[in-house]
Amino acid sequence: MDNLEKYRQCFHKAFSQDVDFDLETAEMGSTPDWDSVGHMELVTEIEDTFDIMFETEDILRFTSYVKGIEILEKYGVVM
Amino acid sequence: MYLELDKKDMDSMALIDSEGDEITYGGILNFAGKFQESVERRALMFVLSRNCVGAAVGYLGAMANRVVPLMLGAGMDRGLLETLTDIYRPSYIWKPEETVEETDDILLRGYRYALVRTGLPLYPMYEELSLLLTTSGSTGSPKLVRHSYGNLEAQARNISAFFGLDSAERPMVDLPIHYTYGLSVLNSHLYSGATVLLTGMNVLNPKYWDFLKSQRASSFTNVPYSYEILKKLRVFRMDLPHLRTFSQGGGKLNEELHREFAEYAQNTGRKFIVTYGQTEGSARMAWLPPEYALEKCGSIGKAIPNGKLYIVDESGQVIHTPDTIGEMVYEGPNVTLGYAETREDLALGDERHGVLYTGDMVKKDNDGFFYIVGRKKRFLKLWGYRVGLDECENIIKRAFDVQCACVGDDRCMQIYVNSGQDMEAIRRYIADKTGINSSAFRVHYIETLPRNEAGKILYSALEHREET
Repeated sequence: MDNLEKYRQCFHKAFSQDVDFDLETAEMGSTPDWDSVGHMELVTEIEDTFDIMFETEDILRFTSYVKGIEILEKYGVVM
Repeated sequence: MYLELDKKDMDSMALIDSEGDEITYGGILNFAGKFQESVERRALMFVLSRNCVGAAVGYLGAMANRVVPLMLGAGMDRGLLETLTDIYRPSYIWKPEETVEETDDILLRGYRYALVRTGLPLYPMYEELSLLLTTSGSTGSPKLVRHSYGNLEAQARNISAFFGLDSAERPMVDLPIHYTYGLSVLNSHLYSGATVLLTGMNVLNPKYWDFLKSQRASSFTNVPYSYEILKKLRVFRMDLPHLRTFSQGGGKLNEELHREFAEYAQNTGRKFIVTYGQTEGSARMAWLPPEYALEKCGSIGKAIPNGKLYIVDESGQVIHTPDTIGEMVYEGPNVTLGYAETREDLALGDERHGVLYTGDMVKKDNDGFFYIVGRKKRFLKLWGYRVGLDECENIIKRAFDVQCACVGDDRCMQIYVNSGQDMEAIRRYIADKTGINSSAFRVHYIETLPRNEAGKILYSALEHREET
């Protein structure tokens, strides 16, 4: 499985979404379940999957699917 | 006057919110004066609240003029709000300006809020009734907790005393002020002449931290779940020179987190204070003094000043032997009057007479410190929100053609239904209705719900099912 697929899996695990869930436009606050609770699950899922540990500011900056990809680059996870 | 607001420094700032509004103590008194010209005393008023100056001054204006507020979340489900309106028929509604409709009869505007007259007549209410709060706000249960004026004065005075509050405090209040815990932080700090920082943002919003830092917040009060987030955000490494006190309530904090925060506080010269409370006791009833935070890790401490805690067995006998489990009973001036389920109930007097059976199962150690071990009442605290299990069953049964039973713990509600259809829809529906993340709900199929001979659901038979 490549990094992008792993990244996508993290969202599915964290939000237990149905199939019609549009990942590319997923945003904190508007995507169902992506509230503070969902965010913690997502962050933990990604940290475990890629064996990294986010900085505080990156946890706070990580507000969309697209931003997450950009942030992960900083940790050497390229998609 | 309410919270002795008229005895504060009139020029000093009372409330600052993250939306850009602020008001001094003198400003609150002025506003309460305007309220007086607009409202009739002893009327019921719904406050559609969010954490901002507008909601707070409406609440204070009502309290100062002996109008009785029912505090509700501004984001509450419209259907649930209509149910409450039908039952309690408020004479006034204090609501955010953006929710005002053309047909609304507006009496007063201020701080992005408006006072609307509904035209519904006043009806008899008990003269000492001061305030109403929901028992399970998220499910919109019509069951309310009736507070007296004495309850709220005792709450403000006691909390102010055991926290040692003074006018230099600048508490961060992001807990909703329409629930008892957030409201008690607001009340006790206003009573102390402090400057309360109100925000509807949570700790995951970068602007939350900008607000906290720029306003030099001196204390942080929150529920167990927020402490988990703080840890994840590596709060221990943040530079927060003004933040002196961390306080926790709203459910049991796990021992590991308790220890980590207690150690952090000790190493950095801060105070970490665990408290225990519930709406029926006008918020706080027990607290763990910060000097015991490490030594008595996992404990909720002892009774607050002017209160008494003890444990009773099933026959109601007081248990004196340490480490013996029983129900915790609290006695004190902050014990509320009782519940209301209809508007006629608002005429009722004091039904508890200062004694509250908390429904929490506890034990006491040799030094008299209390530890919570379980819960007797049918509710959960999901992500810090109290959710009634019976109310959830009713919500589901009204919307879906199923029999249903709800059990679970503070991590997850387990919902058993006797139909394999709509299981995902039920999970979504209840998350939506309660406004709680759907990961807190699991739906299971069960052919027949276990019942006793009288037809009552045997919840104990469902309790540990999900683990097998």
